[in-house]
Amino acid sequence: MTAPAPTSTVVRCRINGRDVEMLVPVRLTVAELLRDRLGLTGTKVSCEMQVCGVCTVLVDGNPVSSCATLACDLDGTEVLTVEGLARGRNLHPVQEAFMDANALQCGFCTPGFIMMAVALLDAHPDADQAEVREWMDGNLCRCTGYAPIETAVTVAASRMDAQ
Amino acid sequence: MAVLPELGLVRSGDLDDVLAAVDYDHAPFAGGTELVPAMELGLRRPAAIVDLKRVEALKGIEVDAEAGTVTIGAAVTHRRLSDHAGVREHLPTLAAAASRVGNARVRSTGTVGGNLCFAEPRSDLGCVLLALGATAEVRSAHGARTLGIDELIVGAFETSLEPDEILATVTVPFEPPGMSYWKLQSYERPTLGVALVVTEDRWEITVGAATERPTRIVLAAGDTAGLADFVGGLEFSDDMTGPPDYKRSVLRAYLQRTLGAEL
Repeated sequence: MTAPAPTSTVVRCRINGRDVEMLVPVRLTVAELLRDRLGLTGTKVSCEMQVCGVCTVLVDGNPVSSCATLACDLDGTEVLTVEGLARGRNLHPVQEAFMDANALQCGFCTPGFIMMAVALLDAHPDADQAEVREWMDGNLCRCTGYAPIETAVTVAASRMDAQ
Repeated sequence: MAVLPELGLVRSGDLDDVLAAVDYDHAPFAGGTELVPAMELGLRRPAAIVDLKRVEALKGIEVDAEAGTVTIGAAVTHRRLSDHAGVREHLPTLAAAASRVGNARVRSTGTVGGNLCFAEPRSDLGCVLLALGATAEVRSAHGARTLGIDELIVGAFETSLEPDEILATVTVPFEPPGMSYWKLQSYERPTLGVALVVTEDRWEITVGAATERPTRIVLAAGDTAGLADFVGGLEFSDDMTGPPDYKRSVLRAYLQRTLGAEL
């Protein structure tokens, strides 16, 4: 390797169902790509240490911290953010359940919790309470408390199962 | 929001290209769960990252029934490891530990190699792999060498890897009967982890997370004096998960309860 490594790279991926092809700096995080370049500000950023979960998005169905994932790693993947959940005016069952269970107060952590719940219920549609807690315990909420959130995920699971 | 400094990217599907590129300024890069925050905090400033994720040789999970081993590529994620049928069958304790590493996001992207090579003391995999007698194959452009886990991890955040070496695979003997792993954890990393292999005549004890690196001892079953010496002699870390005396008390209580030993 004699030539210096390139500091930008082409990323081809699908974000919320739309094909995207962009030249991105290697140093760019997924959160910066989504928020600053694509205007998808539903994804929030807080701890930047993979601890709080507000920046959770799905990459090929897996939940990842967009604050600590580099955009160059999105090449060839399918990305889903909170903006990609609703179908027109019809909210995703997880979004509906969060409203119905009053599982939010200030709402800052909500996109992250919702994306984590979507990832869980896609992978384990019949998740029990232990699985719900195991998957959601990497997301922090500082106002609502966790009981309504757990209820919302359980309600969403039963509604999605019935559909 | 932290903005990373300019960063180069080396990406190839060929292991030789990757090995030719890696050095102190060209950091091996897989999940990024440790490296990206370290770069954001300014603790690590490589000129470029060398992506390992496109090298098939670093992504395999191979069960060798004849040898009684499972060989795991360094770029295998925690989720793939914990979901893999062969790992669940032959290494159930490792699979269970991998399914509880960090949080669900860390398990999506974080890798076995990254976990071991970052050598964060508060880790589960190092402890469980040391208990299992795993070996690490280390590669560079100049050759390969095989190390025990206790030769790979030499201290807190410290491995014996040279700057141009990468961890390629970890080979793990099938789990022996009588194995368990228990951890105490309040935050995203464990406070204390204990792997045990208990048979009629042996106590094999590996302690992780609470010390700078995992520590293993093999005692004759019932050797409570030896066990007390081991617990008394461990140098526990003093960090945000608690002071050394607390960790020693928890370990002593757990071993008393589990082994039925009066310490």
